Amino acid sequence: MSRSRPGAVRARIESLLRRFAGISGIDRVLIAFAALGLSVLVGFFIVLGSGRVAECSTAAWTMPITGLGFCYDPFEVFFVLFNGALGGPFYVWEPGILNPEWLPITLPWLGFMPGWSPFNNAFALTMSETTLLVFTGLSVAVAFRAGLFNIGTQGQLVVGALLTALVVVALAPLFPANRVGGVILIAIGVLAGAVGGGLWGAIPGALKAYADANEVITTIMLNFIAANVAYVLVLEVFRAEGSSVVATADVPEYAQIGPWLFPPTGDFAEAALLIGLVSLVGLYLFLEHTSLGYDLRVSGIQPLAAEYSGVNAKLTTVRAMTLSGALGGIGGSIWVLMSEGRWVESIPDLGFDGITVSILAGNNPLGVLPAAALFGVLKGGALQVGFQTDVPPELVGVLRGLIILFVAMPEFFRLIGKRLVPDEPEATRGGDGKDGDGVGGTAAVDDGGEASA
Amino acid sequence: MASDFDRRRFIQAAGITGIAGLAGCTGGPEGSSDDGSSDDGSSDDGSSDDGSSDDGSDGSGSSDDGYNVGMVYALGGLGDESFNDAAQRGIIDAAEDFDVSYDESQPADAGEFSQFQRLYAESTDPDYDLVASIGFAQLDALTETAPDFPEQNFLLVDDQLDEPNVASYQFSEEEGSFLTGALAALLTQQSFSAGAGETNTDASRIGFVGGVDAPLIRKFQAGYEAGAAYVSEDVEVSTSYVGDFTDPSGGQEAALSMIGSDVDIIYHAAGGSGVGVFQAAQDEGRFAIGVDSDQSLTEDDFDDVILASMVKRVDRAVYESVENVVNGEFEGGSQVLLGLEEEGVSCVYGNAIGDDIPQEVKDEVDSVRDEIIAGNIDVPTDPDDV
Repeated sequence: MSRSRPGAVRARIESLLRRFAGISGIDRVLIAFAALGLSVLVGFFIVLGSGRVAECSTAAWTMPITGLGFCYDPFEVFFVLFNGALGGPFYVWEPGILNPEWLPITLPWLGFMPGWSPFNNAFALTMSETTLLVFTGLSVAVAFRAGLFNIGTQGQLVVGALLTALVVVALAPLFPANRVGGVILIAIGVLAGAVGGGLWGAIPGALKAYADANEVITTIMLNFIAANVAYVLVLEVFRAEGSSVVATADVPEYAQIGPWLFPPTGDFAEAALLIGLVSLVGLYLFLEHTSLGYDLRVSGIQPLAAEYSGVNAKLTTVRAMTLSGALGGIGGSIWVLMSEGRWVESIPDLGFDGITVSILAGNNPLGVLPAAALFGVLKGGALQVGFQTDVPPELVGVLRGLIILFVAMPEFFRLIGKRLVPDEPEATRGGDGKDGDGVGGTAAVDDGGEASA
Repeated sequence: MASDFDRRRFIQAAGITGIAGLAGCTGGPEGSSDDGSSDDGSSDDGSSDDGSSDDGSDGSGSSDDGYNVGMVYALGGLGDESFNDAAQRGIIDAAEDFDVSYDESQPADAGEFSQFQRLYAESTDPDYDLVASIGFAQLDALTETAPDFPEQNFLLVDDQLDEPNVASYQFSEEEGSFLTGALAALLTQQSFSAGAGETNTDASRIGFVGGVDAPLIRKFQAGYEAGAAYVSEDVEVSTSYVGDFTDPSGGQEAALSMIGSDVDIIYHAAGGSGVGVFQAAQDEGRFAIGVDSDQSLTEDDFDDVILASMVKRVDRAVYESVENVVNGEFEGGSQVLLGLEEEGVSCVYGNAIGDDIPQEVKDEVDSVRDEIIAGNIDVPTDPDDV
C-alpha cells in the first residue's frame, strides 16, 4: 500500500470525490443516517475511554466478560441523549419499549398529565433550538447560494434581537395590553428585528459590492462590533432597573410569543416554528421560482457570466446580504420574543451554529429544517445527559461535535468534490447547476500527488 | 483484495491496542471489579481531598431515605478554582457530615439556568429536598422558577429573592474588599518584595479587574477603592472590567495594561478570568490578590505572586442551608448576610508569600477589620459613593 504510485493515489482520491459529488437525493439521507450511526459508535468508545480514565466511586457500567468497570455508561449516555431530547417517551430498562403511560395527545389544559406527552419541557427546549436555528441556517444558506460566506449571522442576530426588545418595550404603552395589542407588537418587533439585522447585513454586502472588501473578514469584524456595541448600549443606556445582569427590561407578557400546546414554562412556541417554516418555504420558492432568486443563484455560481447576461451583480450582492441579515435578525427577534423575553448579554451562538446547519443542509432551504432539528435534538439531549448522568458537560460537547462532524463530512466532501473534480470524461454532463456553491476551479487537485513521490 | 486484508489487519491491531490501552489505564471506578487496577494513585489534581466524591454526585441509589440536593452552578462551571469550586466544597463537606447525596449540573449558558432549576424541582426520582442556585446570574431564572414550585426549597447564593421557598445568602464583599484595598494601598507605598514580585516605588497605583460590570462586582470595586482611600489619599486605583468570567486572556490583557502604567498590586473579582491576572503579575514580577477561595492554594502555580485572597465562604452558605434542611430548620424567605463579623468574608494572606508581609501592615489591616466590625467605618457598596 505504502509504495503506491502517486498517480494511483490521486486517481483514487479523485474517483472517491467523484463518487461523493455524484450522490444525491435519497442517498444523501441514507449516508447521513449511516454517519450518525458511525458517530455514535465512535462516541461509544470515547465515552468508554474517558470513563476508564476518570475516577469515581462506583462503576456506572461494567463490561461483560472482562469485568472492567467504567465511570460512564455509554449506552445510557446515548440513550438519554436522544430519548431525553424528546422528553423521555421510551423506557428501555423497564419492561416495554414505549412508555406504558404514553398517550398520543395529552393536552395540558385538561388538567392531567399521565405519563409522557409530546408537549413537555424537554421537547420544548429541543424545538426551541430547532426553531431558532432554522432562521440562522436560512440566513447563512441564502448568502451561500449567492456565493457569499456570511459569518456575520451572529452579529445580525444580536442587532435584530436588541432592536426588537427596545422597540417592543418602547411601544408597549401605545397598544392595549391584550392579545390583539400583543400580536401587533409581535409583528412590529419581528419587523424591527428584520430591519435591524437586514441593515447590519447590508453593510458587509455594500462593502463587498462597491469596495471589494472580503465579506468573510467584514462580517467577522461586524460580529464583534455588534456584540460589544449592543453590550455597552444596554449597560449604559437601556439596562433594566436593578437587574443583576446586563439586560434590557422585559417585553410585556402579552407581547411574547406564547405556546398553544406546549407548557408555558418552556421556551418554545409553535407560532414561531410556523414563522420559520413559512420563511423556509418562502425562501425556497424565492430562490427557485423568481427571477430575483435566479439572479442571486447565478451570481453565486458564476458572477462573471451573471454580469455578462445582464444581472446587476453589485446590487445582487447587497440584496443577498440584506436578505441574509434580515433572516438572522428575525432569528434574534424570535429569540427575544419566544425564549428570553428580553435582550440579555449572554446570547447563545445561534449564528455560528447556523453556518454548520447550512452546510449540513447543502445550502438548500428545504434541508435546513432536518439539519436544525439535529442540532435541536443534540441541544435538548445534552441538557438531559448533564442532568441525568455524571458525564461532564465537556464530554457531552465532544459527543455533539462528533455527531455533527460525522454527519456534515459527507456533505462537505460532496461540495468539495463538485468543486474540485471535473466531471467524468466519458459522461460529459454539462454543469447540472442544481446546487450553486462557489466558483468552479480545477487547479487544486493537481498538486495532490507529488508530495509522496 | 490485498488492500482489504491489510485494512482488516490494521483494524484488528488498532482494536487490540485500544483495548489494551483502556485496560492499562489507571483510575476508573474504585473497587468496582476484580481487575485489580484500582490502585489509582489517588486524586493528584488536589481539587478535593479525597477521591470518593470527586466528580461526585448521584450515588442517589445508595441512600434513598437520605436527603437529596441538586446543585446548579454558575457559568464557568467546576474547576474554576474560585467561586464554583468553593460551593462544591460546601456540598462535599455537607455530604460527609450528613446523610446527603447530591447531583451537580453545570449550565453551559444563561438560558440553561431555569432549565436545570426546573429539572431538579420537577424530579421525583429522587425527590430533591433542596435546589441550590449558585451565583447572582441565576436570580432572574429563579424569580420565574420558584413561584411555580411552592413546595420546593431553593437556595440562592449571591443575591436575594423574596419568595417564601427561597433562602438567600449574600456576602458583604465590600467589607472583605475594603481590607484587600487597605492591604494593597499600604504595600504599594513601600518598597516590598517577596516571592516573584516586588512593588513599584515610582508610583502608588493599585488596580482592580472585574469580571462583568454588574452591581455585585461593583461591590468588590467599591470596597477596594474605599479601603485604599481610607489608608491613604495618595493611592490611585485603576479599574477594568473584562466582560466575562471565563476569559483568562482578557484578564491578562487588562492586568498587563495596568502594570504598564505603574500598577503593582492587582485585585481581581473575575472568576476564571482572574487566572490571567495572576499570569500577568507573575510575568511582570508584580503582585495579585485572589478572590472567593484562597487562591494561593487553589492556583498554587501562582502562589509566589498572590499576596492574599478575599475569601468568600460560599461553601458555608451551601453547608449551612443543607444543614438547615437536614435539621428541618430551613427557612424559606430568609435572607442571610454574611460579613466580616460572621466570617462570611475575610482577607486571607497568601500561603507562600503571606509571611513576608511586614507585621505592621498586618496589624494595620487587623485594626481596620476591627473598626469595620465595630461599625466605625461606613463601607460603600457602590463605587460612585467612594
